[in-house]
Amino acid sequence: MNAVPLEYFLTVAGVLFTIGAIGFLLRRNLLVLLMSIELMLNAVNLTLVAFNRIHPQNHAGQIFAFFIIVVAAAEAAIGLAIVLSFFRVRKTVRSDDADLLRN
Amino acid sequence: MNFLANKFPHDDFALLGIVLVLPLIGAFVNGVFGKRLGKQAVRMMALSAIGGSFIASVLTFLSLPAAEHGAHAVPKLKWVAWRWLDLNVTGRNIPIDVVFGADAMTATMMLVVTGVGFLIHLYSSEYMKADPGYYRFFAYLNLFIFSMLVLILGDSMPILFVGWEGVGLCSYLLIGFWFTEEKNASAGKKAFIANRIGDFGLLLAMALLAYYSSTLTFDGIKATAGNALLQDVKIWPLGNLPTEEIWHKQFAAGSIWPNWLVDFFLPDKPITAKVSTLVGFSVFLGCAGKSAQIPLYVWLPDAMAGPTPVSALIHAATMVTAGVYLVARMCDVFVLSPAAMAVVAITGALTAVFAASMGFFQRDLKKVLAYSTVSQLGFMFMGVGVGAFTAGFFHVFTHAFFKACLFLGAGSVIHAMHARIHDTDQSQDMWNMGGLRKYMPITHVTYLVSCLSIAGTPLLFAGFWSKDEILWKAYSSEVAGPQGRVPPADLGFVDLLKSPQYMWQWPSWLGPTIYWVGIIGATMTAFYMFRSYFVTFWGEFRGWKIVPGYIDPHPHHADEDLDEAGHGTTDVDHHAPTKKHPHGHVDEPSMAHKSASHDDEHDDHAHDDHRGHEPIVPGEIDGPIPHESPLPMTVPLMILGAMAILAGFLGAEPIHVAPLIHKLEPIFEHATKLVVARDGIDPHGGTMWMMMVPGVAAMVVGSGAAYWAYHLQKGEPEFSFKRSMPGLYNLIYDKWRIDELYDATVIGMVDALADIFTMADKWIVDGVIARLTGMLAQGIGAVLRVFHTGRVQIYAASMVVGLLGMGWFFVQPHAHVVVDDEELRSTGKVVATASPGLGYSYAWSGEGLQPSKSDRVEFVVDQGKTREVVVTVRNVFGREAQAKVTVTRPAARPGPGQQPIMLQPLPQQGALTPPSGDAPPDQKPMKLEGNQVGGLLRGEVGQ
Repeated sequence: MNAVPLEYFLTVAGVLFTIGAIGFLLRRNLLVLLMSIELMLNAVNLTLVAFNRIHPQNHAGQIFAFFIIVVAAAEAAIGLAIVLSFFRVRKTVRSDDADLLRN
Repeated sequence: MNFLANKFPHDDFALLGIVLVLPLIGAFVNGVFGKRLGKQAVRMMALSAIGGSFIASVLTFLSLPAAEHGAHAVPKLKWVAWRWLDLNVTGRNIPIDVVFGADAMTATMMLVVTGVGFLIHLYSSEYMKADPGYYRFFAYLNLFIFSMLVLILGDSMPILFVGWEGVGLCSYLLIGFWFTEEKNASAGKKAFIANRIGDFGLLLAMALLAYYSSTLTFDGIKATAGNALLQDVKIWPLGNLPTEEIWHKQFAAGSIWPNWLVDFFLPDKPITAKVSTLVGFSVFLGCAGKSAQIPLYVWLPDAMAGPTPVSALIHAATMVTAGVYLVARMCDVFVLSPAAMAVVAITGALTAVFAASMGFFQRDLKKVLAYSTVSQLGFMFMGVGVGAFTAGFFHVFTHAFFKACLFLGAGSVIHAMHARIHDTDQSQDMWNMGGLRKYMPITHVTYLVSCLSIAGTPLLFAGFWSKDEILWKAYSSEVAGPQGRVPPADLGFVDLLKSPQYMWQWPSWLGPTIYWVGIIGATMTAFYMFRSYFVTFWGEFRGWKIVPGYIDPHPHHADEDLDEAGHGTTDVDHHAPTKKHPHGHVDEPSMAHKSASHDDEHDDHAHDDHRGHEPIVPGEIDGPIPHESPLPMTVPLMILGAMAILAGFLGAEPIHVAPLIHKLEPIFEHATKLVVARDGIDPHGGTMWMMMVPGVAAMVVGSGAAYWAYHLQKGEPEFSFKRSMPGLYNLIYDKWRIDELYDATVIGMVDALADIFTMADKWIVDGVIARLTGMLAQGIGAVLRVFHTGRVQIYAASMVVGLLGMGWFFVQPHAHVVVDDEELRSTGKVVATASPGLGYSYAWSGEGLQPSKSDRVEFVVDQGKTREVVVTVRNVFGREAQAKVTVTRPAARPGPGQQPIMLQPLPQQGALTPPSGDAPPDQKPMKLEGNQVGGLLRGEVGQ
C-alpha cells in the first residue's frame, strides 16, 4: 500500500509549488500568471491528497482537494474573463500594463 | 351608563386610553399616509379622531363618581397603562408608572381640549383648504391634541412632563408651519427655547420632589406634602465664602450700603428655605414658560406667526393654560409656601397689566389678541396665586371659549381680507379693515359677544363670572401658609430668610393691591378689546386700496390720516405697494389676485368662491369684496360664541349657579384650608357685591373709552397721541422694547459665547487639530504610496516575504511563562504556566522541583526566600528554548506593636518594600515586583 513514501509526494509538490511561485513572480504574461497559480494550487492539492493517504480516517484531505479544484475552476473562469476584458482595453496581456489607476 | 360602569371600573378606567389613542392614530395616519390620502380623507380622519375623543371625554365626564362629603380621597378615574421605569433615588425605589387619572378638573380640561379642539379642527378644515401642507397641518394638530391630553391626564409628574414636552414640540411645529419664511421659523425656535428655560424649572421641581417626597404621583405628593415638603433646605447663594464678614470689616464705618442689603446680597450664612418654596418656585418657572408669564412671555406674541386656528387652539385656548392647570394641580404644594403663592400672584398681576399695555396700539389684529391672551393668563395666575384655585381654573375654562372665538373670528376676518390682499402683514392690519360688520354679520356678532365676555360685561357673559371671582378672592382672602397667618412681627425680611422656624407671611396690603392692579388690567382689557372691535367692524371699509394697482378716486380721502398714522408696516408690502404703480391698474380681480400671490408659497386661504357674488362698483371697489366665511368656519364661531355666554353659568357663584365649581371644589378642599379670609372681611357677605362695582366700572370705563376714541372719533385720539408723544407711542407699540432688551442682554451674551466657540472651532478644531490629523494621514500616505506601485508581482513578492517570515517564526520555539502568585504572600504557593504552541513539549527543572512534562507546575516559596524555575520548550523540529522564572517571597511583616508601618512620604521609596524581602532588583522580574508592592499596600490599607 505505502509503496511510495510521503516524502516523495511532498518533494514533488514542493518543486511544483516553487516553480509556480517563481513563475508567478517573474513572468509578466497574465495568462502565464494564471497558469502559475494553477500550478501552485495543484501542488497544494497533491500535498493534501498525499497526507490523506497516510491519514485515511476521514478523507478530509481529499475533500479539501475537491474544494480547491472547484475554487480553482471558478478562479480560472473569472481570471480569464478579467484578462479578456483587460485585453480589450489595452490590447495587451502584460501585467505591467495594468496601470490605469496608478497616480 | 351601567354598561359603562361595568366595562370601565373606576380604578381601571381604560376609556382614558381610548381618549388618548384616537388623536394619536389620527396623527399617525395623517402624518404617514396623508399625502396620498387626499384632503377629504385627511379631513375625515382628523375630525373623526377628535370627535371620537370628544365623545369618549363626555362619557368620562359623565362617569365621574360623585364627591362624598368628608371623604378624604377625591373622586377619580384611574388607568394604569404599564410600569415605565424604576427610579432609584438615594437608595429609595420610586416606581414610575404610565398612569392616567381623571378627576373633575382633568375631565373639564378634557372636554375643553377635545371640544374646542374639534371645533377648531372643523374650522381649519375650511381655513387651510388651499394649503399644500394640509395633511401635515392636521397631523400636527392631532398630535397636539394627543400631547395635551397626556399632559392633563397624566397622573404623575413624569407623565405630565411627557405631555408638556409634546405640546411644546407641536407648538414649535405649528408656529413654524410655514417654515419657508425665516420669520415664522425663528418664531417657532423662540417659543421652543423660551419653553426650554421653563422646562428646566419643571425638571428641577421633579428632582426635588423625588428626593424629598420619594414619590412623583400627584396623589403621593399631596399625601406627603405636609411632612416631606416642610423640611428645611440650606442654600449657599455664593458658596460658603465669608463675604459678608469681609464686607462688614472693610466698610465697618461709613458704608453707604445698609447692613441688611449686604446681608441679602452677600450672605455668608446659608439661606434656609422650605422645600415647598423651592418646589413652588421651580414649578412656577416651568409654568411661566409654558403660560407666557413675565419674564418668559416674549414667545407668545411671536407665536402668532402660525396659522390662525393654531393660535386659537394652542396659543389661546389650551396649551398656554397648562401652566395654570399645573399650579392648580400642585395646589397642595403651593399653599405650603406663602412666598411661592405670592410670587405666582404678583407675577400674574404684573403680567396682566403689562401685557394689556402692550396691546394698546398694536395694528395687527392677531397681535392684540396675543397680548390679551398673555394678560388673561396673568389673571388666571393671579387667581391661583391668591388661593382661588377654582376661580383661576374656571377662568381657564371660560377663557378657552371666548378667546378661541375671538381668534377664530380674527381668522375669519383675515380670511376675508386675504381675498383682497395676499400678504400677512396687510391682511392682519386693523387699519385696513373697518366696517366689516356689513359684510360678515356672523363673525361680527360672535366677535362682539366674545369681546363683551372678555371685557367682563356683568351678569350675562362668562368672562364676568370668572374674572370677578378672581378679583373678589384676591381682595378677600390671603394665603396663610402652614403656620397660621400672624407673621412674627419683629422679624425683618432677611431674618425671615435666615430663620428656619418662620415662614414668610403675606403682608396685609398684598391682596388689595393685587385686586386694584387687576381692576386696572380689566379696564385696559376692555379698552383694547373694544378698540380692536370698533376698528375692525365699524366705520368705513378701508381695505379698498390694498389691492395692487389701486388708484385712489378721492386723493384726499380720510384714509390718508390712517395711513399716516401707520407705523410703517404698510411699507413692508413690496409686491403690492398702494400708490407706486399707477400705470399698473388692473380691473380684473383675478389678475390682481395672481400678481399679489405670485411669491406666496403658502396658499392657506380658500378664496376661490368669493368673486362675482356682489356687483363691483368701478372706481370705488377694486378686487373682491370681503365676504362672510363658509359654514364650517361660522358654525364653530357660533358655538363658541354661545359658550362665551353659557359657560359662565357653570360657575356663577355670586348667584349660586355653579355646578362646575361644586364639582371642582373637592379637589382643592385640602389646599384651601390654608387660605383664609382677610381680617374683617366676610367671605360671603355684602362686601362681595360692593367689590364688584370697580370691576363693572372697569368694563364700562374701558369699553366706553374705546367707543369714544374709535367709534365716535374714528381713532383720532390715538393719532393725536402719536403726534404729540411719538416716543411713548412707539415705545408701547414696540412692546416696551423688551425683546430688544433681551436681545441686548441675554441673547447678546449667548451670541458672544457662541462667537467665541465659533472662533475656537474655526482656529483650534479646524485649524490645528483637523489640519494635524490631515497632515498625519497625508504623511503616512506619502510613505505608503511608494509601495503602491500597481504591479501585481511586487505585491505577490511582498506577500511571499511575509509568509516566509511567519514560517520562520513558527519553526522557532517560544518559551513564555505566566506566573500566578496570588497566594505568594499567604502560603507561598506559586503556579507557573508555560504558553502553548504547536507540538510543544515541556521540561521543568529547578532546585527541589519534581521533573514535570506538563505545561504547568506548582511550587512553594518560603518566607524571605527566592526560588528559580527553568522551563525548556521543544517543538516538532527539535528546536529548544528556555525561560527562567524567579520568585521572591517577602519576609513576614513585623507585628504592629514592634514596628509600626507607616506610609512614608516620598522620596523614601524603600519604605514600601520590607527590608528582609529585598532581592537585587536585576534578578526580579518586573511584574512580580509590581505585585509585591501592590500586595503590601493592600495589607497596610487592611490594617
